[in-house]
Amino acid sequence: MKVLKVIGKIAAILSAVYAVLFAVFYFDLDGKFFYYVFEPMMVKHFDQMKHRDIMDTPYAQDVK
Amino acid sequence: MSRLTDTLKKLRSIDYKKAAKDFWNGKPHGERQLGKLYEDKTGLYKHREWRGVQDTFYYFNRIWLYNYAHMVMDIMRFGDPISFAKGLVRYRWMGQTYLTVMHWFDRGLEGLRGPALRASAWHYRAMTCETIRQFQRMFAADTKTKKDGRQNRLWHTTIAHDETVSGSIFYPWRDVLDDVPLQMIPYFVTCHVNNHTVLNYIDAIQSIGLPSDPCPMCQAEAGLCVMDDYPDYSPIIITSNEACDGSVATSIIQDWYLNRPLFAMPQPMRFDDPLVQKHCQEEIKQAWHFIEEHMGIPFSWEQYVKYAERQNELTRFEREKWDVAANTPYYPINGVAQALYRIYYSQDGDREIWHETDRKVRAIMERCVRDKIETFPNTRHRAIAWSCAPLYYSNWCTWAYNCWGINCVINMDSLMFDKILRTDTYEHAVEDLATYNEWAPMRAMAVGGYEHIFRLWEFMEKFHCDMVIMYDQLQCKGMQGIHGMFEDEFRARNIHAIWIPHALPDKRTVSRAEIRTIINDYMTTVMHEEPLDASLLEFDDSMSW
Repeated sequence: MKVLKVIGKIAAILSAVYAVLFAVFYFDLDGKFFYYVFEPMMVKHFDQMKHRDIMDTPYAQDVK
Repeated sequence: MSRLTDTLKKLRSIDYKKAAKDFWNGKPHGERQLGKLYEDKTGLYKHREWRGVQDTFYYFNRIWLYNYAHMVMDIMRFGDPISFAKGLVRYRWMGQTYLTVMHWFDRGLEGLRGPALRASAWHYRAMTCETIRQFQRMFAADTKTKKDGRQNRLWHTTIAHDETVSGSIFYPWRDVLDDVPLQMIPYFVTCHVNNHTVLNYIDAIQSIGLPSDPCPMCQAEAGLCVMDDYPDYSPIIITSNEACDGSVATSIIQDWYLNRPLFAMPQPMRFDDPLVQKHCQEEIKQAWHFIEEHMGIPFSWEQYVKYAERQNELTRFEREKWDVAANTPYYPINGVAQALYRIYYSQDGDREIWHETDRKVRAIMERCVRDKIETFPNTRHRAIAWSCAPLYYSNWCTWAYNCWGINCVINMDSLMFDKILRTDTYEHAVEDLATYNEWAPMRAMAVGGYEHIFRLWEFMEKFHCDMVIMYDQLQCKGMQGIHGMFEDEFRARNIHAIWIPHALPDKRTVSRAEIRTIINDYMTTVMHEEPLDASLLEFDDSMSW
């Protein structure tokens, strides 16, 4: 009986997770998260990043 | 009170039998109104499409969940999560682009049902897997994401090469070294998945003085140098002139930026001359000597034969696919999946994932043929797409089928690498590799001379096409030169051809909405046809990935 209860609980949790994931999928919540939250955050991060200036590298051809 | 009455009236007017049928099977093509699913400008979905119970849950379980789960598994399998995380925050093309990948699936697979949905999705899955393999290898070997900038074992055993130098050149070392194209993941695939990223690189190269009229592909690839956004994952680099001599300048900037031993293996513009063929063969041999000299590992004929034979298996299956596409209505792969998968694997070279995918697709295709399943039942026109496609709108053909019933059955890039590599002698191997290399992407049938470009007529007939979608890359000087001859031939042969102007990766020059308007105008004013789905005629996706 106890085992059945545990199995029932696990099944209920898995079903709830599955339902939540389906809602994320169906309402394109993953797309909305990446578009409105994740991408702007990454753009801000990359815009602030310092880069090596390639103009500082001398151009030397190693012609044999 | 009147509101309640209205609601009751509405409820009474619903055809419940039809609603149940639509719920179970999905709405028929003419009633879907896919355009109403989009949010304005962003191209995000108010909700994803309901394709009927079976196909919606196939999409949810076997495409959406399956791919998210396998992306995590691939990250672990091909490297480690720490180097992935470091790459994610170090490289814009990674951090801004690739996590949005499921939307790339959505855009390409819109409206598909049954075997077409399944087979096309397997192609997307394979490209995603191989993309992860490539960037994980780059990140694992990368000195830039290491605290001490050390060159590890993977750095010493990876060859970097231009994305238009075929992976088959490196088969003699495949068991001991890995080869990773420099631009395929930082540039090419990003344009399809999330075309916001590439604009940064185009702007970057112009900011140091490059005029805006050269090919934007070369601009973006050079812009990656300006932004210091290529990983440092290899001691050497093998470059080419890509498809056109305009991009020789890209190689010069890459040479300047990468600052390491470089072997240039340019592909000739006109390659029919036997002397040119000989020259190309010599260059491949020199490239092999270069690898031996710098990587310290001898050429292995056994490894070449092993991987060339495996590549030939892929080519033979591709020919079987074309046979089904050309002669039956049972081909289960849509236009964008066909185009991207084919150019990806034929350029990347043999990898296990292509074989796994082909096995799955073969099973689906054989079932379609056996059971006579019409995979694109609303086909009004069988189209062939010619020249180089707009990378920011490679899924235009999914839209064109849903909106107008234009089924793009084949395209130029798919047809270019149709070569079985002989493995009986070294001489034959080099000869075939030279030819394969000469037929590089955007080369043979795009800028390789009119006799190759005009093979369009032969393929139109072979694939039973009644319409040409003619890509017009506005910044490609090669194809611009032959525009008038095409116009003359289309008129003389009485062929329906729709010119699609674009600027390869740069959506700012010709927008996706403008491309749709051109097709809409042709279909209404010349063909006098009504759309299958009028909701797709006009919508604003200007800010979309």
